[in-house]
Amino acid sequence: MTPLSIAMISDFFHPDVGGVENHIYMLSATLIGKGHKVIVITHSHAPDRVGVRWLLPWLKVYYIPFLPIASSATLPNFFTSLPYLRTILLREHIHLIHAHASLSSIGHEGILHAHLMGIRTVFTDHSLFGFEDAASILTNKLLAGTLKNVDAVICVSHTGRENTVLRGELFERDATAPSKLIVRNNVYVIPNALVADEFKPGPPKSTDIITIVVLSRLAYRKGIDLLVATAPRICAAFPNVRFIVGGDGPKLIDLLQMREKHLLQDRIELLGSVRHSDVRSVLHQGAIFMNTSLTESFGIAILEAACAGLYVVSTRVGGVPEILPSDMISFAEPEEDDLFRAMSEAIRIVAAGKHDPQRAHERVKTFYNWEDVAARTEKVYDAVMKSPQIELWERMQRTMELGPFAGPIYTIILIVDCIFFMFLEWWMPREDLDYANVRWNAERFARLAEKERAKTMQSTVNAGG
Amino acid sequence: MPKPDDAAWAKILWKKQPFSDNYVPQNLFLSSLRRNTNFKPYTYWPVVLLSCAITQHISTIFIFLATFVRLRERLLDPRTLVLISVACFVAGYTVWSWLDVAMISKADRNANHLKALKSSILIFFALMSLSPVLRTLTAATSSDSIWALSAVLFILNALLADYSVHDGQVHERLTSVLSMNAAISASVVLASRLTTDVAVFALVLFSVQAFALFPMLRHRLQASTTAVQCSLTLGLALTALSLTAPLSWTVTCIFFMTLVSVTFLAPACLVWAQKFKNEIRGPWDVAVPKVN
Repeated sequence: MTPLSIAMISDFFHPDVGGVENHIYMLSATLIGKGHKVIVITHSHAPDRVGVRWLLPWLKVYYIPFLPIASSATLPNFFTSLPYLRTILLREHIHLIHAHASLSSIGHEGILHAHLMGIRTVFTDHSLFGFEDAASILTNKLLAGTLKNVDAVICVSHTGRENTVLRGELFERDATAPSKLIVRNNVYVIPNALVADEFKPGPPKSTDIITIVVLSRLAYRKGIDLLVATAPRICAAFPNVRFIVGGDGPKLIDLLQMREKHLLQDRIELLGSVRHSDVRSVLHQGAIFMNTSLTESFGIAILEAACAGLYVVSTRVGGVPEILPSDMISFAEPEEDDLFRAMSEAIRIVAAGKHDPQRAHERVKTFYNWEDVAARTEKVYDAVMKSPQIELWERMQRTMELGPFAGPIYTIILIVDCIFFMFLEWWMPREDLDYANVRWNAERFARLAEKERAKTMQSTVNAGG
Repeated sequence: MPKPDDAAWAKILWKKQPFSDNYVPQNLFLSSLRRNTNFKPYTYWPVVLLSCAITQHISTIFIFLATFVRLRERLLDPRTLVLISVACFVAGYTVWSWLDVAMISKADRNANHLKALKSSILIFFALMSLSPVLRTLTAATSSDSIWALSAVLFILNALLADYSVHDGQVHERLTSVLSMNAAISASVVLASRLTTDVAVFALVLFSVQAFALFPMLRHRLQASTTAVQCSLTLGLALTALSLTAPLSWTVTCIFFMTLVSVTFLAPACLVWAQKFKNEIRGPWDVAVPKVN
């Protein structure tokens, strides 16, 4: 397809670390490799990460000066980002913006403003939400307001798509039977991926001692209560088993108490928080990976463990059952007894040497790779670019469908946004903008780098001589 | 693309399937969606019965207010009120220990009786010695502020009170403690408007009966038979109405309307609103871990 200029917009990006952050970076890098121009727009980080930065491979990152309020998300205020985004999107000649994560307000704002400049929009949802508590109800309404006018939605798992379709009200009336509601045809499922070569299996281990690895944030949602309940039972039933638990969080105290109470200090090792670069070395120490999450949209940690050759035991929640074939993973219901049963089975399988880490690695390698994800995402971009732009009048009509209260509010926001944009057009005319016309030139960079290296070599030789 | 066929589609991500990424399997999509799984519809009369606790509480507040007005207007001798309070206490305590018979052994019961006697004597004398202080507590404050303050405190008391049903061991929650404190504070500030020490003592003693001890008894009675519940509610409501009626016709009307709407109208609204209930459950919900 013809190369596009794409802007990834999300509150969650480097220097923060996490699943969404990694996804955006890897997708951008792969798309750059395919010849597109990609920039990332995110909020600034204290103390001094603000302005334009470059990341390898020539990925331009705009840190716009907004401060996050909680968990690295900025306050949703709809309008204040427009001057920044307008300038950036125009000067970079952006064709399409790709917003990530449903709690990232800057992404929502990008989708709200994009149509003013004729820019198309894609949104990727990374997480699952319930429908019960007040926080979910509010954020779901916010999401529904944004997704009414988005050109395409990508979800990371089939379960995630069901969830997003319900939360974002992504239904429309069937053209043939007006009483029937069908899912909009611009909702895609494209899974996450991983760099398989970064998670190669470690050297073969003896099966005398079986190490179980747990790597997770120690929080209620990660099912640490189940771990606390089952770990002593597993230790009592299998004298050759030890645990390594990596991660930090509010439930750490429960784990420490459990270890104290059952005198398992020599068999359960608590590592505290583990840096992403150390994950592989922790995984290499183990033979079984245990995941006790109570909800999970995709479960990239499970995939990384499976790729590193560990046998995986997981609770059957969210999108986890979709990501691996059933012979590579044992499932348990989120219950103490069932988890114990699944773990016992897994320990027997591994002790009998029935699990081949190398083969597991080779298989995972064929399942997921970023090239495939980028190619599938490109198809979405292509479909979006070919689809007709939604007119303002239709946008207003769609927004009014949100409901008797939210509908008018969002429509007013939409209209005020248009007026604000017209004001900006007068106040900062397009002719006066500082356009970025020069693209990163890889060859020139290589030449310069080579020259620089030669110069340093020369000076070292001179200094040495 | 091959012709879409739901049978060939699987809900997996690890294998490339011959469908486009935006393909939605019509029959399988949202097949694991569950609606109103844990939904038990309420019926009218049981909800009315449950609302009796609220009616009783509001009636208690109005009985207390009517008593206060009578003391202030000198229509009631404070000594009579003290006698009534003591009688109520004895009656209530008899019922309480009668309910205890089935649960607690005889030795424990006797120990409990002694404890109750000791603390009641203690409270009696403490209140008596404090009453001169309480009488002049808010002398510098205007009566208008006191009426407003006590109204707010009583509303807080009614909102936060624990109306749940539990038998035996009472597990005190923060809200019910706050509720009781609000009521006692309200009665203390009201008592400070009275003129004699005996009246102050009588009113505060009565408020302890009404807002600290009676709710405890009420919780236990709530678990008993429907007949007891209904007669208690009816008795309290009628007492409150008959005590309020001679004082102010308007207040009596408002009070009566409140009682009717709380007991009969509000449950009807709840039962009616149930048809809008739409609880969505699916695989994305946070699972509830089952630990032995």
